[in-house]
Amino acid sequence: MAGPLIVQSDKTLLLEVDHELADACRRAIAPFAELERAPEHIHTYRLTPLGLWNARAAGHDAEQVVDALVEYSRYPVPHALLVDIAETIDRYGRLTLSKHPAHGLVLSSTDRPVLEEVLKSKRVTPLVGARIDPDTVVVHPSERGQIKQTLLKLGWPAEDLAGYVDGEAHTIDLAEDGWALRPYQKQAVENFWHGGSGVVVLPCGAGKTLVGAGAMAQAKATTLILVTNTVSARQWKHELVRRTSLTEDEIGEYSGTKKEIRPVTIATYQVLTTKRKGVYPHLELFDSRDWGLVVYDEVHLLPAPVFKFTADLQARRRLGLTATLVREDGRESDVFSLIGPKRFDAPWKEIEAQGYIAPADCVEVRVNLTESERLAYATAEAEEKYRFCATTATKRKVTEALVRKHQGEQTLVIGQYIDQLDELGAHLDAPVIKGETTNAVREKLFDQFREGEISVLVVSKVANFSIDLPEATVAIQVSGTFGSRQEEAQRLGRVLRPKADGHEARFYSVVARDTIDQDFAAHRQRFLAEQGYAYRIADADDFLAG
Amino acid sequence: MTTESTAGTAAPRTLAEELRQRDDASLATLLRARPDLLSPVPNDLTQLATRAGTRASVVRALGRLDTFALQAAEALAVAPEPASYEALRALLAGDDGDAAVDGALPGAVATLRAQALVWGGDERLRLVRTARELLAPSPQHPSPTGLGPAVAEATSGMSPGRVQQLIEAAGLTSTHDAVSAVSALTELFTDRTRMSALLDDAPVDALDVLGRLTWGPPYGQVTADPAAHLRWLLDRGLLVPTSPGTVVLPREVALHLRGGRAHRTTHPLPPEVPPAAEHRPRVVDATAAGQALAAVATVEELLKEWHEGGPAVLRAGGLSVRDLKRTAVALDAPEPTAAFWVELAYAAGLLASDGGFEGASSPYGEGDAGPRRAEERYAATPAYDDWLELPAAERWARLAVAWLAATRTPGLVGGRDGKDRVLSALGPHLDRSGAPEVRRRVLDLLAGLPQGAAADPEAVLARLRWERPLRVGATSDPSGDDLRTRLARWTLDEAELLGVTGRGALSATGRALLSDTPHRAREGHRTHDGHTALDGHSALEGHSTREGHTAREGHPAFERTLAALLAPLLPEPLDHVLLQADLTAVAPGPLERPLAETLGVLADVESKGGATVYRFTPGSVRRALDAGRTATDLHTFLQTHSRTPVPQPLSYLIDDVARRHGHLRIGAASAYVRCDDDSVLGEILADKRAAALRLRRLAPTVLAAQADPAALLDGLRSMGFAPSAETPEGDVLIAPAHAHRTPPRTAPAPVPEGPPLPDDTLLGAAVRAIRAGDMASTAPKRPAPTPTSAPGELPRTTSAETLATMQAAVLTGDALWIGYVNAEGTASQRVIAPVRVEGGFVTAYDHTADEVRTYPLHRVTGVAELGED
Repeated sequence: MAGPLIVQSDKTLLLEVDHELADACRRAIAPFAELERAPEHIHTYRLTPLGLWNARAAGHDAEQVVDALVEYSRYPVPHALLVDIAETIDRYGRLTLSKHPAHGLVLSSTDRPVLEEVLKSKRVTPLVGARIDPDTVVVHPSERGQIKQTLLKLGWPAEDLAGYVDGEAHTIDLAEDGWALRPYQKQAVENFWHGGSGVVVLPCGAGKTLVGAGAMAQAKATTLILVTNTVSARQWKHELVRRTSLTEDEIGEYSGTKKEIRPVTIATYQVLTTKRKGVYPHLELFDSRDWGLVVYDEVHLLPAPVFKFTADLQARRRLGLTATLVREDGRESDVFSLIGPKRFDAPWKEIEAQGYIAPADCVEVRVNLTESERLAYATAEAEEKYRFCATTATKRKVTEALVRKHQGEQTLVIGQYIDQLDELGAHLDAPVIKGETTNAVREKLFDQFREGEISVLVVSKVANFSIDLPEATVAIQVSGTFGSRQEEAQRLGRVLRPKADGHEARFYSVVARDTIDQDFAAHRQRFLAEQGYAYRIADADDFLAG
Repeated sequence: MTTESTAGTAAPRTLAEELRQRDDASLATLLRARPDLLSPVPNDLTQLATRAGTRASVVRALGRLDTFALQAAEALAVAPEPASYEALRALLAGDDGDAAVDGALPGAVATLRAQALVWGGDERLRLVRTARELLAPSPQHPSPTGLGPAVAEATSGMSPGRVQQLIEAAGLTSTHDAVSAVSALTELFTDRTRMSALLDDAPVDALDVLGRLTWGPPYGQVTADPAAHLRWLLDRGLLVPTSPGTVVLPREVALHLRGGRAHRTTHPLPPEVPPAAEHRPRVVDATAAGQALAAVATVEELLKEWHEGGPAVLRAGGLSVRDLKRTAVALDAPEPTAAFWVELAYAAGLLASDGGFEGASSPYGEGDAGPRRAEERYAATPAYDDWLELPAAERWARLAVAWLAATRTPGLVGGRDGKDRVLSALGPHLDRSGAPEVRRRVLDLLAGLPQGAAADPEAVLARLRWERPLRVGATSDPSGDDLRTRLARWTLDEAELLGVTGRGALSATGRALLSDTPHRAREGHRTHDGHTALDGHSALEGHSTREGHTAREGHPAFERTLAALLAPLLPEPLDHVLLQADLTAVAPGPLERPLAETLGVLADVESKGGATVYRFTPGSVRRALDAGRTATDLHTFLQTHSRTPVPQPLSYLIDDVARRHGHLRIGAASAYVRCDDDSVLGEILADKRAAALRLRRLAPTVLAAQADPAALLDGLRSMGFAPSAETPEGDVLIAPAHAHRTPPRTAPAPVPEGPPLPDDTLLGAAVRAIRAGDMASTAPKRPAPTPTSAPGELPRTTSAETLATMQAAVLTGDALWIGYVNAEGTASQRVIAPVRVEGGFVTAYDHTADEVRTYPLHRVTGVAELGED
């Protein structure tokens, strides 16, 4: 009988989800193929060298990969593709980094010509020392990250078996009173610990913080946690105090305002990347303690300088947490070589089906511009066009109508432009959280929102990441950072946390028709549709009338 | 005709006599193996024997020998003439004997005999003289055996006194007769025992020198005053000076040192081609079928890409490097592969140059108005449209048959020819006459393996090299590379691309492809190479039409048979797609043609392979609307062909685009923009980007433009509008994509080298004709008819006489008077001075026409010497 999988010559795999073997096939190919799109009928996976090496790092070999393809493929798999897969996989692990009892860190090879080839590269030469024997060469311990990065670029990723330092021991236990790690979280922790270092990919709202806590409980060592911003840092602290044996005093915050270094320290990317007189003054944080574990929250946002520091941290265990490996800057390969291969991955839909995140109803509301708005739009300068159409008065009216429609429900209005938000806040009589809002005010407002004292909150993109608003059931997006797919995913994540009453979440995107706003929206929504969130389109007039 | 009359007579004295003794079947074998002997049909056996001995023909025949037969011929060339079978065996097997050689030699000798390269009984084997000249070692052409000249030859220039000295030094009894002295020396050298004794006394250094020359090359340099050990060798004739400073090792000495072997290694047995990997035949067939489908799809895609006129033809012919690159990108294939697909389509007659033929121009021209000379471009042929109508399996069969017979070799594309010109795809100089034979031979070798077994390419190449070794200095390819090997490699690659093989093993369809085609070579691996002088001569009219037939017309019945085999393996075309909310449509298999075509307009292809992924974009929907579809059409189309409900975003997309499509209308006559909504016009006027269009508002709903309509359309589209053009009557102008076609074209004929292989009927007739002619010429001689030199009457002589007179005239340079019947049958008399007689033609200075001309001998009715009256 015909299989559920179609192997395309461009190395994409099409999986027919309604096929009876689809589940088995998905499990067979998931280790080595990246899920690229998951719309309703046919899921698209892609074979990439990184994906194949991820699989190899997880212990799969070429034969398993080829077998999986041949087994489930509906049509004969092109021979050239199979050969290519085998060759690619074979490149991983020819070179290994390991500890030599006498020489310290060494790079060794099972295939001498490969070693010769990479040693000839100008970029490798400064990173290595003396040749111990024909198959082994000394690597400067400080260059462990650099050399992994360079070798990956040369197409010969090295397997890092050099091990980790244990770091300063510190007792951390999960306080599982009345709750427990979900099965997939346990699996993620286990996979990570087994692999040593690496990235766990979980959708927003699926409890990544707990995976971090689980990893810390495994490591039982001092931990450095890197997060995107202060709010997020506070939430981590809050969550860790609640879920683990750690007390407030054991957790330090290292941000713009506080500079505490404790057994568990939470630092923001921003403070680390602050540059004064050409140097990064806060780098000493990495050396201030003998960290046993470094956790990177939102790996896909990791700023470039942090990669550079991370290269020097290769002897410590590293855990990356993210909702998506897609980086708008395309530095996925640095994540692979510096933090580690992907150790766990679960598609959104699957976790949603298990009831851990709320289902969402996505609606694009199309707004017709008035005649004068259209004229103004046409005359606007190119760089002003988006701002203009994203902030039209008509949009405001529609937003107000939507808020009215969902009166009584916890509603977030998210936007990009401050004046638009201020205006909306004034009309909706709702507080506005933006960049200049102090952290104290922010937390107070969040608390009030949580308690239900206020039901509508207008937020700028500062709230994009890592804030936790459990009872937000409606999100209305009025403008975004152009076509950022990753932002769309994050915003959707705001409403995906499971609701107390099992209420379905609503995600509205208000879009001006026939403008570039619509084009950007299409780009962002493509990401959602690819994740399997079918969205509806509605006319603004329906809401204005009703 | 039988050979009873001559059977059992004494040993033949010439090749002609031997041929006369052969039976019809063996003559037929000879003519089949060397078809060039038949052009034109020889008058009698003498003529046949003469032609079989011409240099061109012998070179060609030698080039077709396998390694061992060639080694046997080489050995014969260094053996004394005539040589016994036993002597030949000793040369090949050496003093110690070699069972493999003993087993293979009878076959090799039979091959040489069958090809009339060797004649005479087993006791008196003779190599045809020309072959001997070609193969025997000489200072200019060293033999592959590495042997030098025989003692007799080497000492021929020596003074009798010096020969005497040699005799004495070697310890032989002296004789004053130089001839018997040399033969005594030869006898000594060929006597293993006495020779060993002689060499036992040699200084060590001398033996070392001999050792270095033993396996050739046999020539060495010496100073004017040779060292003692060299002098020792020179004194005994073990080294013989050839010219000042050069010495040679006589053949007999070398043979003694080699233990009698003419070759260091002999290759009596063909290298085996063992199965390297075995797959289930079902897997092989399925893989091949998948690839076959991909091949058909790729050719289609290529020509679709060139639908509205392909790339320009280079002045020297062919596709520019840039266009090939572009094509490779479009096909998502490496350039050599792209070149293969382009050439395949060409060979199958699906694409050709349009010869500068101007198709209908677009409604508005392409911007720069004014008359232009149409550029010569590549485009699909009308045959392509017919091909498209065929079922996929038959389309493949057409390609496969064309591929197998084609002499065009895409593998050469990108390389340089002998004159350092870059060879371009579709360009000239890509024909290699050996290609079809190599292709077939490679596939034959694969067919020899069990079903589902793949061969190691290196083993296949080794076998091919054994079958047709490259003779030193006889390379026909100007590049000097081993063309056959490269052809074989390309064949393996191309067969996989085309789906003739799957995972390296010949598929069932591939086997069927081999089973029959008109070009089938009966002896499996006989190919032609070298260059022929015969092409284009009037003598060939009869054959060239036959050949045109075999190569060109396609073989509908055979193609259908092939297609019938392939069809069940191909996936059934589907009539539905899956539509998804991310605005893609997935066709989980090949689509029915009309569906695929419509979808191809309505959406962009994102991924190809077993399935096709389409993406709907505003641009693609607009394209469909431009092609005359309405939104309602599109909705209905999607509903009909989707297995799943049409996702709402897709409906919205179509409605959105349709709503704006045609909202703006633009006329050609005066270049205007009109729109019922005057604010839109205001919008356009207000837009800075519209400045280049130089718009002016004529009325609230009409704008006039100075720019030409096409630029206007583009400009407005780039501003984000969706204008449509309108006719003078105010209707929306539908501009369907215009198909560009060449005038009717025939596919390029393969360019075989040499005459085609004669079929059995022709062979039979030829043999009968030769016999008849032979009877006439060898019948008891009547008094020779007096050459009639009466004016106005054509001279008449027998063909043997004609040939002899011509050859004599070449030597003397005399002019001759000939009777000649031209191709139309008109008789004439001409006075010629023959320059060369070869291959059945005489090249001569024609005094009558005052130029050098070439006449086929069989059209010369007779010849007479001039100046007798």
